[in-house]
Amino acid sequence: MIWTLEPHQSVLASVLRVLLFASLRDRAGWEERSIPVSEAGLTAAQVWDQLELGPLESVCVAVNQELVRSDQPLRAGDELAFLPPFTGG
Amino acid sequence: MVEIGQDDSIRVQIRPDPFSAFEALECWAGAAAASAVFLGRVRPQTLDGEPLQALELQHYPGFCERQLLQLAREQLQHHGATRVLVLHRVGTLLPGELIVLVAVEADRRGCAQRCCSDLLEALKHQAPFWKREWFSGQGTWLSGNTPL
Repeated sequence: MIWTLEPHQSVLASVLRVLLFASLRDRAGWEERSIPVSEAGLTAAQVWDQLELGPLESVCVAVNQELVRSDQPLRAGDELAFLPPFTGG
Repeated sequence: MVEIGQDDSIRVQIRPDPFSAFEALECWAGAAAASAVFLGRVRPQTLDGEPLQALELQHYPGFCERQLLQLAREQLQHHGATRVLVLHRVGTLLPGELIVLVAVEADRRGCAQRCCSDLLEALKHQAPFWKREWFSGQGTWLSGNTPL
């Protein structure tokens, strides 16, 4: 299941901003979503499972623009990004 | 163009448009005894050897600039270099266009060369950029870096 906020829900404070990049955007068909934080201790890995985008291995997780482990608990207002392997330079 | 840098010792720019390496270096260069420069350009072929139409470069705005600044700071301190310049393109690039410029100044050539090389490798593996090759109207995201 993927949670998506309706426009009238956008004032709720208890949401996460989820960002996808590169191949993950193509796979999901979206770049950014807000999802409600419906349980205490929700982790990035749990959010990833809900997105149904395949295995998390080789995908990096960033919370508030810091690389973190996928089991880090999330808080309302966090910016959660799933990042495929970097290929710059 | 997004530019960040704490002071004159580190300058990092994300460039959405083509740039001249020589003009950038002329503006940046100081009077250090040793300078090392790396320029990376778009290859004319895809990884599969097909003629490349274009290379698309995506980044994570904000995080990418901070990560580049952090990597530059770490390498500058580790090698004892004095100044670092990093320019990196995003957007759609054509074959032959510059993707990345890394320049380092130091008092000795060894420091400058090692810092430049290590910063480039750090950038390739730790900065959130992604490349997509375009060939015959089809785009393919690269899944890893080219070998050293």
